Amino acid sequence: MQKKLFGLLSLLVLLSLVLTACGGGAATEAPAEEPAATEEAPAATEEAPAATEAAAEEITLTLGSWRVDDVAAWEVINAAFHEAHPNITVKFDPTNPPDYNATLRTQLETGTGPDLFFVRSFATGRELFDAGYIASLKDLPGISDNFTEASRAPWATESGEPYAVPIIAVSHGIYYNKDIFAANGIEIPTTWEELMAASQTLLDAGVIPFANGTKDAWDINEVVMMQFIPSNIGGFEGRMAYLNGDRCFNSDEMVASFQQIDDMQPYLPNGFEAVSYYDAAQLFAQGQAAMMMDGSWSIGAFQKDATDFEWGVFYPPALEGKDTYVTFHIDAAVGANAASPNLEAAMLFLEFLESSEFAALLGNNLPGFFPLTTDVPTLSDPIAADFMAFNSNAAGVDIRFVWEKLLAAPSGNVDAYTSLNNNVIAVLKDEKTPQEAADAFNADLAAWYAPAAGCK
Amino acid sequence: MSQTILTKSGSAGFLNPKKRLTLTWVLFLLPALFIYLTFMAGPLFDSLRLSLYTGQGYTPTEFVGFQNYINLFTNPLWREKFINAFTNTCIFFSIHMLVQNTLGLLFANLLSTDFKGRNFFRTVIFAPATLSVLVVGFLWTLILNPQWGAVNKILIAMDLKQLALPWLGRESLALPVISLTSVWQWVGMPTVMFLAGLMGISDELLEAARIDGASEWDIFWRIKFPLLKPVIGVVAILTFVDNFNAFDIIYAMAGAKGEPGYSTDLLATLFYRTGIAGEHPVGIPDMGMGAAIATMTFAILMTGVLSWLYLSRKQETE
Repeated sequence: MQKKLFGLLSLLVLLSLVLTACGGGAATEAPAEEPAATEEAPAATEEAPAATEAAAEEITLTLGSWRVDDVAAWEVINAAFHEAHPNITVKFDPTNPPDYNATLRTQLETGTGPDLFFVRSFATGRELFDAGYIASLKDLPGISDNFTEASRAPWATESGEPYAVPIIAVSHGIYYNKDIFAANGIEIPTTWEELMAASQTLLDAGVIPFANGTKDAWDINEVVMMQFIPSNIGGFEGRMAYLNGDRCFNSDEMVASFQQIDDMQPYLPNGFEAVSYYDAAQLFAQGQAAMMMDGSWSIGAFQKDATDFEWGVFYPPALEGKDTYVTFHIDAAVGANAASPNLEAAMLFLEFLESSEFAALLGNNLPGFFPLTTDVPTLSDPIAADFMAFNSNAAGVDIRFVWEKLLAAPSGNVDAYTSLNNNVIAVLKDEKTPQEAADAFNADLAAWYAPAAGCK
Repeated sequence: MSQTILTKSGSAGFLNPKKRLTLTWVLFLLPALFIYLTFMAGPLFDSLRLSLYTGQGYTPTEFVGFQNYINLFTNPLWREKFINAFTNTCIFFSIHMLVQNTLGLLFANLLSTDFKGRNFFRTVIFAPATLSVLVVGFLWTLILNPQWGAVNKILIAMDLKQLALPWLGRESLALPVISLTSVWQWVGMPTVMFLAGLMGISDELLEAARIDGASEWDIFWRIKFPLLKPVIGVVAILTFVDNFNAFDIIYAMAGAKGEPGYSTDLLATLFYRTGIAGEHPVGIPDMGMGAAIATMTFAILMTGVLSWLYLSRKQETE
């Protein structure tokens, strides 16, 4: 009996193996054929009317994005476009930010991608363009007149061929509680040393000076460390010196930036290691912490939550004797799906994104997200206007330190973002001195980034 | 018995009745087999295949043989990541094995005796298992928050300020704390299984032992424990499989990166970051390498389950 059972079982296993082979083949072949067949049919039927009566055709474009919070604002923007082009409707269709890259990729690969979509800057977006999923914009009228080269660069090839229209930049700063500052007799500091002295006063008064923590890791890197670096290294020119190998990534300027992180440590909340980005925002909004280093994108959230006290923003001041450089990060652009059947309509929308009408709509409906068109609209939100004033008062403006060239580490290497993040946290946890952290940062980059290996 | 009945009732056909019976049995299995092959075995083999390819995006096309595995074990960074994730997974599993299953056995013993409020405790112990992992993770993150969490507030109120630690922010604490949260949630499962096992032990055995003067301690170790061994085996293997696949509680409490400093990174979170999500801020996944990590996890699970099957089979025949 046992033998028979065993024989039967092995037969089943064999059968299952054979069936997997067949089943697998059938399963992968069938869907591949089907969509092709169904796609052809509508394409053929759509083309016919397009040739005869193009103007009257109703077109709906989808706009993919990672900005789930901005649906209302984009409805206003898209309505304005619809008014100018009554036959085209644009539907804003955002995906949760952490899933955006993966979702978009799947959609593009399976031919279900949106007609228009937000494109990440530098490496991530470039990879999609190189794979042929984003339409080239070299023939889009006005793209070189309406944007500076610096704004276009994150979405253009080395030869300057653009593939997305830059729409949003974000700024960063220190949100501060005006009531707490006044109660402790503190003026807005103009040097780093003054800021540290003010923090000590606040700590002595029993207030948490800075709300920031490190549980989520990215915020201490993007909105704290990368705000210290530009003033220490001298903005864009300074950054180019690192990228070209004229400076090493453990130069004195970089050590000074890590030192600022170390200076801040006593003024972070108790247990800052387990304080998340949202915890920090709560600490500030509830008036428990006097300051929080955060991005301009939080204006709206604080306007809703921090209503019990007066607050404002100032830029992290430079070390005594240094000029202040501002991180104004070019964050998002919109590109067109190269495989979209409505590419012409999509191009019309991209042209609309170059207009000053769009810039004003974006800047005023989404305070904290700044349009990138060369003619800058006036912003009605006072805090957003304060953020914009950082740029005009600074010695220079630059994007975040690691974004250009330093993110695309080959597999098996540590990219600059991750290395900087790990080392900043190591300094805060007293595991490394600022000098050791800078040395480790340099070593991580020298392993794969040639200019860092041969730096002077 | 059934065979003879069927043979008699079956009319004469071109197949001999005995063979037809075998065929009927297979036919009943086919629908389930089809679903299993399409949705479980198929993807599994496809994942094995994928681990031999490389390329960016979701359909890697470049065949590289075992290069992904070679990189995983020879590149210092990949090796460090993998060994770290493997070690963390082992710790995560050990804490469940020791704490969750020991507590489960203890609770089951207590609940198998008759006392007032037994049903109440039975419900309380099992209740967390009915909650969503994300809810549990979120609640405990709040309870453990260093600024306004209940744990630290109580510790400070008890004048134990030096014990009010950033529980989820220290490399040395985060993994044990998250493991214990998961233990808290799932302890009801082994409890229920052990309780069922204990209910199955005949009262006569226990009564006889009591009459012979055995203490409760002796009864547990000499009678209940040996009779529970098969259940313990099943609980152990389920714990093993569940924990080597664990992902959600880490994702909910420490994020996909296994913060702080990769100290809570498990095999599943490493796989997710590598093969599906990509790392912030670039987010370009490496499906081939992800599949290689998944295959290694599969191999570890397979080895564990097969050796358990072998051992338990051996014990049975002995």
